[in-house]
Amino acid sequence: MSDDAMATRIEALEELLTEKGLVDPETVDRLIDHYTNRVGPMNGAKVIARAWVDPAYKRRLLADGTRAIAEFGFPGPGAACIKVVANTPEIHNVVVCTLCSCYPRSVLGVAPSWYKSPAYRSRMVAEPRALLREMGLDLDARVQIRVWDSSGEARFLVLPLRPEGTDDLSEADLAELVTRDAMIGVAEVVWSGP
Amino acid sequence: MNTFDRVDVAGPAPPPRSNGEVVFEAPWQQRLFGLTLAMTETAAVPWETFRTRLIGRIAEDEARPYWESWAAALEDVLAASAMLSTTDVDTRRNLLVQDTE
Repeated sequence: MSDDAMATRIEALEELLTEKGLVDPETVDRLIDHYTNRVGPMNGAKVIARAWVDPAYKRRLLADGTRAIAEFGFPGPGAACIKVVANTPEIHNVVVCTLCSCYPRSVLGVAPSWYKSPAYRSRMVAEPRALLREMGLDLDARVQIRVWDSSGEARFLVLPLRPEGTDDLSEADLAELVTRDAMIGVAEVVWSGP
Repeated sequence: MNTFDRVDVAGPAPPPRSNGEVVFEAPWQQRLFGLTLAMTETAAVPWETFRTRLIGRIAEDEARPYWESWAAALEDVLAASAMLSTTDVDTRRNLLVQDTE
């Protein structure tokens, strides 16, 4: 269907749902703004930075991601069940949703287009090492890759390795280094120095 | 099978603070996303119910653009729960089209 045709159809849908009192356009505006402008991946980055500087928090985060993330009290709707998987020098984690687009929206915002593409969804399962390399992450052959398939029950968030040489950085500075892609597992967190 | 060229990995991976990434290719996609969240987060439609429909629509035609599958899934849920029929939507769409002609 053309963009115009789709736009008209969605407009019709919204009008009808609004007239029936099923949605409030202001709520729709607020949700769009929340997920596209406010959450972004910033909430997730704060969680990761905290886990890097606070071993007790890291333990809580890995034990119960949903509860540990709730400690931040991020505004907006609560998080669905989030499981955090930690990278180590030997194990690299990466997240996919083979069936649809499950994504830890409450901490990462809206999923990028490529995450939802059929190619990513199938290839990350079939040949993760090759796909990661094509996406710019060339892992040592000795590093084991674990692919986590998100579902309605569990949405995964990767706890990346803290880059070397960042001992002097504050929690806030560390949060700025953490990218969305690193928390999906298709990139590493890098620090190029002050 | 080489389907990799369909994965857009060329885009920059923005730092957490810069949020300007384009995740919607058209305004209607963003509206649809917001509408669906409004329906699911107010519990009128359980997210899991929507997700099941979305999986079905994606599986039925992998070549269909993602957000069109999403729209079809939302309409499925609304029709199944008798909140809105496809005919209702067709009728209103036709009215909107006439208005602009």
